[in-house]
Parts: sequence; C-alpha cells; structure tokens
Amino acid sequence: MKKNLLTILLLFSCITFGLAQSRVITGKVTDQKDGSALPGVSVTVKGLSGTGTQTGVNGTFSLTVPGTAKVLLFQFLGFKPMEMSISNKPLIVQLESDSKQLSEVVVVGYGTQTKASVTGSIASVSSKQIEETPVTSLEQAMQGKVAGVVIQADGGKLGQGINIRVRGSSSVSAGTQPLYILDGIPITTENLSSTDAATNPIADINFNDIESVQILKDASASAIYGARASNGVIVITTKKGKAGATKINFSAQFGSSTPSRHRQFLNSKQYVALQQRAAIGAAKQDTIGGGDYNDALASEQSALNDELTLLSAGNDDWKTGKVNTNWEEQAFQKAPQQQYDLNLSGGNDKTTYYIGGQYLNQTGIVLGNSFKRYSGRVNLDTKVDKNLSIGTNLSFANTINNRIANDDLFSTPLQGVALSPITPLIDPRSGLLSGSLPGEADDYPLYYNPLLSTNNAYYQAKVYRTIGNVYANWEIIKGLTFRSEFGIDQLNQAEDSYFGRLTFRNTATNDGFGENTTTQVLNYNTNNYFSYKTLFGTDHSLDLTLGTSYQNSRKVGNDIQGQEFPSDAYKKLGAAAVKTTGASYDEGYTFLSYFLRANYAYKGKYLISGSARTDGSSRFGSNSRYGFFPSGSVGWIMSEEEFLKNSKLISNLKVRFSYGLTGNAEIGNFSALGLFSPANYNGTAGQRFSQVANPNLKWETTAQLDAGVDFGFFNNRLTGSFDYYKKNTRDLLLEVNLPGTLGIANISPATPSTQLQNLGKLYNKGFELQISSDNLVGKFKWTTSINASYNKNIVTDIKGQVLGSDDLNRVIEGQPIGVFYGHEYAGVDPANGDALYYLNTKDANGNINRGKTNDYNAAQNVVLGSPTPKYTGGITNIFGYNGIELAVTFQGVFGNKIYNQAGQYMSSAAGNGYDNQTVDQLNYWNKPGDITNVPEPRTFYANGTNPSSRYISSGTYVRCKTVTLAYNLPKDIISKVKLERVKVFVNAYNLFVITKYKGWDPEVNTDYQSGNINLGVDFYSAPQPRTVTFGFNVGL
Amino acid sequence: MKKINYIYISAFAAAISLSACNKALNIKPKEQIDQTNAIVTSNDVQSTLVGAYNRMAQTGVYGGRIFVQPDLMAATDTVLTFNGTYQGLTQITNQAIPNDNSFVLDTWQQAYQAINLANNVVANLSKADAGQRDRMEGEAKFIRGLIYFDLARLYGRAWNDGDPATNLAVPIVLTPTTGVDNSIFVPRNTVKEVYTQAINDLKTAEAKLPATNSFYANSGAASAILARLYLQQGDYTNAGAEANTVIASGTFTLNAKYSDEFPIPGKASHVDNTPEDIFAIQVTEQQGITSMNEFYASASNSGRGDIHIDPAFIAEFDANDTRGQFYTPKLNSDNSVSFYRTKKFDNTFGNVHVVRLAEMYLIRAESNLQTGKALGATPLSDINKIRERAGANDLTTVALSDIKAERRHELAFEGGFFLHDAKRLGLPVGKLQYSSPKLVFPIPLREIQANSKLVQNPGY
Repeated sequence: MKKNLLTILLLFSCITFGLAQSRVITGKVTDQKDGSALPGVSVTVKGLSGTGTQTGVNGTFSLTVPGTAKVLLFQFLGFKPMEMSISNKPLIVQLESDSKQLSEVVVVGYGTQTKASVTGSIASVSSKQIEETPVTSLEQAMQGKVAGVVIQADGGKLGQGINIRVRGSSSVSAGTQPLYILDGIPITTENLSSTDAATNPIADINFNDIESVQILKDASASAIYGARASNGVIVITTKKGKAGATKINFSAQFGSSTPSRHRQFLNSKQYVALQQRAAIGAAKQDTIGGGDYNDALASEQSALNDELTLLSAGNDDWKTGKVNTNWEEQAFQKAPQQQYDLNLSGGNDKTTYYIGGQYLNQTGIVLGNSFKRYSGRVNLDTKVDKNLSIGTNLSFANTINNRIANDDLFSTPLQGVALSPITPLIDPRSGLLSGSLPGEADDYPLYYNPLLSTNNAYYQAKVYRTIGNVYANWEIIKGLTFRSEFGIDQLNQAEDSYFGRLTFRNTATNDGFGENTTTQVLNYNTNNYFSYKTLFGTDHSLDLTLGTSYQNSRKVGNDIQGQEFPSDAYKKLGAAAVKTTGASYDEGYTFLSYFLRANYAYKGKYLISGSARTDGSSRFGSNSRYGFFPSGSVGWIMSEEEFLKNSKLISNLKVRFSYGLTGNAEIGNFSALGLFSPANYNGTAGQRFSQVANPNLKWETTAQLDAGVDFGFFNNRLTGSFDYYKKNTRDLLLEVNLPGTLGIANISPATPSTQLQNLGKLYNKGFELQISSDNLVGKFKWTTSINASYNKNIVTDIKGQVLGSDDLNRVIEGQPIGVFYGHEYAGVDPANGDALYYLNTKDANGNINRGKTNDYNAAQNVVLGSPTPKYTGGITNIFGYNGIELAVTFQGVFGNKIYNQAGQYMSSAAGNGYDNQTVDQLNYWNKPGDITNVPEPRTFYANGTNPSSRYISSGTYVRCKTVTLAYNLPKDIISKVKLERVKVFVNAYNLFVITKYKGWDPEVNTDYQSGNINLGVDFYSAPQPRTVTFGFNVGL
Repeated sequence: MKKINYIYISAFAAAISLSACNKALNIKPKEQIDQTNAIVTSNDVQSTLVGAYNRMAQTGVYGGRIFVQPDLMAATDTVLTFNGTYQGLTQITNQAIPNDNSFVLDTWQQAYQAINLANNVVANLSKADAGQRDRMEGEAKFIRGLIYFDLARLYGRAWNDGDPATNLAVPIVLTPTTGVDNSIFVPRNTVKEVYTQAINDLKTAEAKLPATNSFYANSGAASAILARLYLQQGDYTNAGAEANTVIASGTFTLNAKYSDEFPIPGKASHVDNTPEDIFAIQVTEQQGITSMNEFYASASNSGRGDIHIDPAFIAEFDANDTRGQFYTPKLNSDNSVSFYRTKKFDNTFGNVHVVRLAEMYLIRAESNLQTGKALGATPLSDINKIRERAGANDLTTVALSDIKAERRHELAFEGGFFLHDAKRLGLPVGKLQYSSPKLVFPIPLREIQANSKLVQNPGY
C-alpha cells in the first residue's frame, strides 16, 4: 500500500518537474533469473527526489530527467535494488531477486504471508538453489541446503526411496515422511514399489518447474494441516508466467557418473591363502573334543581343494593365481546422462502462462539401472473480471525406471563381490558367462552370477502421472476473498518384468518367470476457503482464513505372475503356461477437514497468530474419528522499535515463539479393524485371522514448542535465524508386539501377532541455525550460507518393550529410534583366536561385568550407537565475478553409526562360507599371542560372525555435494544474436566424500528393509554416483 | 446481484459436498473382511479350516522347516553339511543358537497361527452342518495335536530327559483370539501337559475323522501321529497299537518302489498323494512352498542347494539298496564325489510328506521288539518288508540297532528323525549328549519380551 502511494506520488512529481530542461531516458527492466519483463518497477534518479516513473506491462519505461542526472535507481519488491549509469543507449536493466528481503512472499498453508509477518518456522528453498542439479528428484537437489531437514538416500540406485526427516523422526510405526503439498494440493507420495525396496513418487516431478519450496517446520506453520503435519509439510509452488513478451528458455546438460567410492576385496592369491588358513582353523576345531588332527586337516583340505577347483571352473588355475576377477568393478557400468529443458512463459495483464517440458535420461552407475523422465507442465492464470480470477496448474510425466534387484538378492550386481576372484568371468568350458553352463551352474560360481541378469532379465517400472488443479479466486468485497481449488493426482504405474532361463538359480524356476503389476492411485482433493484481510486504523491488521478441505485417495491394482514360458523370446504373461499368482487390489482413505487461522499485527511489529484444524479420517477407529489441532504463536519485530530503528548494526531483529499440536495419520488404511483375509490351500478356498481390532485407534499427537529469532545485520548483508524446538509426541502409533501365541497372521506389516496401538511417547529436540552472508559485494561477489542442526531423538516410554526384528536396529526406552542394540565385540582372544564378546551382565548391585566370553549367548545386549546423526549441516559458497559464478556446497552428517550387515559374509575371516573377503580380513589371528580384531579363520565355524559391534563403524561424513561453475556470456555479445541470456556451466555432484567409513558409501540404508526402525544398515548397497555434467542455458 | 448468486451457489455447493463427505469417512476394506462377519455359516467354518491348513503349510512349519531344522541340528559332520548363507540356519547347524534366531521365531509364530485357526474352527463347530461337524472337529484337532506335539519336541526338553511333569514346553492355547486383554499373556505348560493335550486332540481326531478324506487329515493320520508320539515317549505298547491300526486299516499301501514315494515329474508340478502317504502338505504352483526343496534340492531343481550330504552317509547303504541310490553325486573334476544331494525333494512342487506308511511298519517293528510281542507281524517281517521294497537284502535277525539303522536310511531327511530319534533313545548328538540344552530351541526373545510370563530355556 505504501509502495503504491509512493509511486503515485512519484508519478505526480514526474509530471511537475518534467517541464525543466531535460532529456528522455528509455529502457527495459527484466528479471535476471528468467529474463521476463518486470512491470511496476520504480525508476528514480539517484540523489534527486521527485523524479521517477514505473515500468509498464512489458517492463519498459521512459523517464524525462534533468541534464544533471547521472545515475538511475531501480527498486522493486522482492528484488535487490540496482543502480545504473545513464548513457545514450536505451538501458537494459536486470534485477536480481532477493531472498533476504523481508517483503518476500512466503507460501503458507492456504495462503501467503510476507516473510516479515511470519511467526512460525518456515524454511525456503528457491528455484535457483535446486535447478539444473543432475539428479532425479527434488529432495536430492535440496540435500544439505535446509536446516533441520535431513535427507538421505537409501542407496545409489536411481529413482529409489529417499528418507526425509523434518526435525527428527516423530513416529515409530506410522509414517515419518513430511506431507507434500503441490500448488495447494496434497500429492501421492506413498511408495508403490511391488518389491521391498521403495521407489520415490517425488521423482515424477520435474523440479526445474518449481519456483519455490517452503518447509513448514513448527506447529504454528504446519498445524493448519492438522492430523498430517507432525512430520513437517513441504509446500511446493510451481512457476508462473509474468505479463510481458514470451520468454523462451532452453537448457541442456550432458555428463556421466561413476561410483563415488570403491571397496577393496582380496585378489586370487590372497583369497586362496586365506581359505587354506581357514581349513587349518577348522581342523583344529574339529578335533577339540578329540580325534586325529592330521586326519581332520586332510579332510578339511580335501574339501577345500574340491571347492577351489569347482570355483576355478573345474581346473587348477586357483593354484597359480592365473585368474583374478575383480567382481566389484563388474557391478558397475558406464553411466552417461543427458537432460533437456524447454520452457516458455509470458502473458498480458489478464492472462499469464508458463509452459515447460523436460526430457531426462540418466544411466545408473550400477549395472542395468537407468531412469528416464518425460514431463510437461502448463500453468495458466487468467482474470475473468476484476474480482474473479481462475487458473490451472497441470503437469504430466512419464517416468521409466529400469530397476535392479534389491540389495538382499543374489541378482543385485553388488552381491557379485561375494564371488571368488579365482572364478573367471567367462567360463573356459563354455565360452559363456560363468554360471551359464547347465548342470555346472547349480554350484558354479559360488552363488548366482548377477551379471547373468543383465541380458537375461529386466524389471521396468513405468509411471504415468498427471497432477492438475483448477482454482477460482473471487474477491467478494474488498479484502474478502473466496478461493475454491480442486485437484487431482492420478498415478498409473505399470511394472513389468521377465527373468529368463539362465537366471534359474536366482528365480528358482527353470523356464522363465514373469510378473506384471499395475497400480493406479486416484487422489483428489478440494479446498474451499475464505480469506479476509483488513486494516483498521493505521495500527491494526488482521488476516483471517476459514475453510474446509476434503481428500479422497483410492488405490486399485492387480498383479499377475507366471512361469513356464515357451522360450525366452516370449516375455509376456500370455505365454506363461502356469499362472502362479493373480490378484486385484482396492483400498483407499479419506480426510475431511475444517480449518481456521487468524493473524493479527499491531503496528506491524507485534504479531500474534492462531490456527486450528479438525480432521476426520477413515483410517481412525470408530470411537475416535475426529482430531483437533490448535496452535498459537507470537512475534515481536524488535528492529521496528525506536531504540533499534536507526541502528547501523542491526537491520532486522525478530523474536518469535510458537506452540501447538499436530497429528500423524500415516498408517494403513484399515489398521483399526479386526480382519480376516484369504488363505487358500491346494485349490480350495480358505480364510485366516489377520488383524485384531482396535476401535480406539486414533492419530498420534505431537506438541511442538518453537522459540526462534530472525536477525539481520549491516543492512541485511548478514542475515540468519536460530530456532530451538521441542516436539513431544504422545499416543504413539506403535506396532506393538503381542504374544505370538495369539496366532494373528498379520498382512501389513507382515509381522505376526502385532497390533497398532496408541502407546508410548517420544521427543525430538534440537536447534537450527541458518546464516547467510554477503561477504563481498561489488564486482567480485562472495556469499556464504550455512545451515546447521542438532536433533536429539529419544523414545521415552513404550512400556518397556523392545521392538524391531532385524539384526541390530531396535526401539528401546531412553534411546533414539532404531538404535543399534546387541552384543559388544571384544576383539580376539590372543591365546586361541576365538572371537570374544563383553559379557555386560549386571550383578545384584547393578555393576556391569566387563569380562569377556567366547560364548555369544552368554553376552548381554547393550546399546552400540545410533544410526541417526546428531548434527547435520551444509555450507554453500558462491563466488561471482564478471559473469562467472562458482557455487560449492558441502554437506555433512555427524555422530551416527553404520552397521555393515554384510560383514558376516564379506568380513568373516573366511569363517562363513567361501565368499570373497574384504582386504582387512588378512589381519587375522594366526598364532598364540597375536593381537588383532580379526578372529582366526575357520571354515564354516562362523567365528565372530554373529551380529555385534564388530560390524559397526562411524557414519560421520562430509561430502562435497555440488560444485557448479557457470559463465554468463556478456550481454552485449549475446544481444547481437538476439538472445537474452546464455549461460554455460559445469556441474559436479558428489565430487568427493571425507569419511572414516570403509564401505562403499556412508550415506546408506539398505533398500530391502529400509523403514522407520531399520536405519543405517549397509548390505551390498550401491554407493552414490559421482556425476559431472556440462550444460548450457539459453534465454530469448 | 451477480455477486449474491455466487455466494449462494458456493455456499450450496459447500453444504452438499460436506454432507457427502461425512459418509465418505466410512471406507470398508475390500481385500479383507471384518472379523465379525468372517465366521457365520457352515461354509465359513470350512473356509477357516482350510485357512488352518494354509497356515500349517507355511515354510516355518510343515512347509518343511519344522523338519529341516532338527536335522540340521543333529546331523552335522557325518551326515550333512550346511553350505547356505542364512545365518539363522548356520547357527542351528552349529548348535549355537542365539535367542533371537529368526527361524526359531518363525516356527513358533507360524505354528500358533495354525493353532489359532484350528481353535476358531473348534469354537464355531455349532455353526457347522451336522453332517460335517465331526469331520471339521477332527481335522482341526488333528492339526492342533500335531503342532503341539512338534512344538513340545522342539521347545521343550525330551520326554525322557528329567521329569516331563515339571519340564516346560510351550503354552497351550485352546480358544480363538478375538481381542486384546490380560488373558493373552499365557505361561508355558509342562512337557507332560502339552503331550497330553496333543494326545487328547489326536484321539478325538482319530475317533471323529473318516478313513479317507481327500488330501485332508483322515483318521489314519491321527493314528499315525499318535504312534509317532507314543514312540517318542517310549510308550511302545500304545505306539505299536496305533501303528498297527494304520497298517491294518488297509487304507494305505507301500509304493512298489521306494522312489515312487518321491515322484519327479518331467516338469516340476503338483503330484497328488501316493498310496503310501498318510498325510502330506500339498504344494502347488499357486499355493505353498516346500522348504525341503528349498534347502535340499539343487538350483536346477529350484532349490538353494544349501545342504550337502556327506559321502560317508551314502556309504552306509548296501550296494543294492535303492534308497542309497536315490542321491545325486556332485563330482569333482577328477570324478571323485565331492558330496551328494538327496533326490527326495527334487520336485519344486512336491508335497511335504508329514507321515507315510513305511514309518508305521518301522514303529510297529520297534514297539514289538521292545515289548516282545508280534502285534500284526514280527519285527523281522516288518523290517524285511521295508527292506525288500528298497531292494536291500533281507535280514535274518533283527535287533534295535537294525531298526535304528533302518529308520535312518528309510526316513532320512524327512521328519527331523536324526534329532528326535537320538533324543528318545538317549544317544549322543555329535559331541553333545541327547539332553544338552543346546539341542532345545530357545524361547524366541521376541516372545519373552512380548509376554513376561514366558520363562527362557536353560543355556539361553
């Protein structure tokens, strides 16, 4: 309002003074980011009040200035001010957007607010921070850039699941991923993979279409999403057109990826020597209770020689080390990628549009993995009359993911490292890949050769996704608007696979196996709400929102599997002589919600805000269908007070405080019901008891307190915010272990005799710091942004239960979710080479016995470390000089542990089969007196291979996440070829990582069991790719 | 005017949509049905009974692992080696089982799933058609009795080890699960109580089941398991009587050839029970998995090929004993034998033989020998009947050691007999005594954590 008054005033004065002796300056103002025209920019003469104008619809201006005028000043809301010397030529002015400006508009739930008036904790990511990152999905592009948001990929396979945690994990058994809102509509983010390894539905979204991402972190910001907000809310807004001539933007990039790290395994000679030593170790054990050692040794050696000959393709090459296959290298492939983006935007004062399209084709680093995306978007806004505007945001995408086997399958390429180095790639007996020879392939190589899957199997997941919404915004009277939105997210997924004859050792079928699965999710949502904004007097402003929302999501699908194909040339299920599975699915959920929000400000510096939401959901029990989620917050902009207003040092200082309740309803659709399910037997129909009822089941509630301060120094050259929060979650949605004697054959999750109950409490508390600094301004520019977070996650009460069933991850009271809990490895007995464990038993006085034992069962479980980092952070430095820009982001996590679940096989001192071993196993105990951590090798005696802290190591790492070097060609050159902008750039992603972890990659969570509890586990998991791309971006 | 219309229209639309929404909060599952509607008719009781078979056919129980696991535990070194990657089975093979072993847990949980469905059938018999009621009761109690017997053998000390009236086995649950209250926390019953429950269930089944009952449990199956149970107790009188009942019924006949019991069709596929099968778990391409095939068969036969049989075991067979020829050698490059695999489970969709007639002859022979009787036939005649069918030479005299060897060769890898026979006869298992606590499964840690009334076994 003030701005408008000023402009009018300026226009007036322009007319008045325009009569003096003067000249006319013309020019055009555009947005530096996309070259679009900027209407309404204030143009004044520096040092001369009263002379000025505003740019018109197409960004042009014409200003008559006195002869003495030298410099023009351009100012516009949300952009950095700019000065430009007057010359004889028309001025071409490009304004740079300024994310630090307090007048910046922040998208919140069901509306927008100016940054200055926000009393909640909201983090923002702009398009500039994510665009052109050479990854498949938005979360990867955001990694390390937002405080309090921890983003971790399961592994390096493309399009696979990604864990994202906003302020820690606030649930044990319900969902922990944030709610995603795309242009006002909640989108489908549920994993739809038909294997245990999750895929990521966010990868269907072209993040180059995204204008901004806001992460609503505290209750004040998120409670408007009520029962769905406990995990935070990610509000995504896509790009809009701006009035003015059509802007065309084209970018392309090309590059390739390599594994970020390798893991070292034994070569042939080392392998054979270690196995021979293991035979000696085994013979000693064979005869401990009596028996002739020499006989035992002869027997062990004979068995080993048989095995080595077998693994050496039936010959004696193992004796000479002639064959030395590096199976680790074989798991990877050349991984080129390319990506093209084309978009057009523009419009007039009534209608604006943005049209974007993308083709992305990435090859994964792991053999057989690739990901393609074709996507398009049309965003259209038009004013029907002066009070009514309507619009639509419509996107469509087709993604094609050539997937590879889960980490726990012999067919995943990285399990090839288990194969022996003495096994040749090509079997000399057949001239074919080892494992192709009928009969021999039963036992040769050691396991199924995953390389056979490359040409003999495929598993493709195709997604067709349409996300669209239409809205009408009607200003009923001044200040009062009614907005109606209707959105649909339709996701069709088709998974198709075929496993040919040569994969029989993996699929357990001799004549081919095929599967075809389709899944359709139709998710529609309507929001209808009133907004009322008013000022009364000069000091009071009020902003009210009242509305309702309804969401209905339905998932239908079917699955068919078959085997016995006439030949591998037939790959579709019509050819399968035996159909082994046929099923159809149909389920869904609904949410009906009412919400209210009021923001009040006094004198623009005392802020108070409250919101409330009532959510009803089909998922809850019949006795507790509706939940109520209120929140309140206050803020004080101290820098507006007289005592700070004129401070040279402090340009912005705001303190804020919020408290409120949010919920979590991310559970199965029918978790409250008692259920029977089909259970057939030999072609006769049957049923089984599969779920015990819980009619009281309700949402899980998180009460969150947030205290924050936003600050700006030196005219906002140094800005930042600091937040402290505590999230107390109660009525935990907890999958409680009931006695197995109840015989409940649960289907989802498939853990027998469990029940989802509201039981227990946990908290997350921590702090977040975000700092942004313009270190150098002027010709050489340097900005630094830092984010750092600390989060402490503690389960306080689960009635003494110990939950979790896989190797070491557990949920126990007093510890973070998924804490490693198990036996503490105590190294090796120097006398005999036995693996030892600390007893850790407690005596009557509570003293812990730190004695050591070689009896695994005699040792007690203890806490061995947390898989969740305590500290996370990122730092981005951007350097600019004369059109050259270098941006470098480091990202790190600190204080977490990784459990190498594959250690029992790959680091077993040859004690658990004939798997190849990591090189560190050469440091084994050999003779009495040896001090080492690697026990004596003993074939099949599994000396020290049970789960224990032996396989736990630090997961701390710092990664050079992105490096971008870009050069913007000078305007005067490119304007000659009628271009607005030409940028060439080099992107490096995951350039290097600093870590003590000896595995492939410390950013790991094996895909086949990844979940809320199973965290930080490495099991032949693929490393992250290191990607380097070259690209250009042309605007006209 | 125009504005007012807008207001009315939007208010009206909102009202309509909200009233429709309230109803929309009730969404019923379509792939499952509500507990309260599940067992209403006689047909529902039958479906629940079929569900009990479905649960007992799971891999952790009679899909095969309830037989594989005791054999792995007992037959290391001289009979077989386990070369697989499942760490849980390596632990069982090494007789060093941590109390969180997932295989031990699976067997426990899956067994009780079948028991719960059997309990559902028993509790709803009043809804069954009168003509079907006895059969349904008999089948449900057969399943329950069989499972309790096997659970007692695996999770409790042997019958002949100490006092079965004080040794603990597993909890006895006889009522269907309907909800969650304090009654769900049940303690372990004694070995004697569990055996008694199994006997009562099997006796009822024996009395109420028809002689033939398609591939479902029949009266002979109940008798046969009773025979096995009494033998485990060393109650030779009852064991011999039950075995004789099965043989004398004439319902089952020995196959002409030993290999006929383990048919291997040209293409892996379901094969119906043989005339010798008394009770078998049915495996088809659509339903059921056999873990016998999973662990014993080679990859060519869809198995993991994890269990290798030692040449020393094959050497125990007479040269002309076809049973000894029913093993596939894995040859070294110099044509010496590295190890063998049994052919018994080469059919990917082969049924899991829970009990077959040959075992009844062996039980009758052993019982008669121990009691000095000749119920049905002499021990020598019964043993030679089995030997002749296998092509082995007749024995002229028979001692307990002969019967023991005969069981070892005839029933090898079929029913966990390597462990169970050693225990009932008090014979050492490898380096361990039959009464070693390491030869008893632990009570799964997860179960102890979920139910504080459960007491752990010694040594865990």
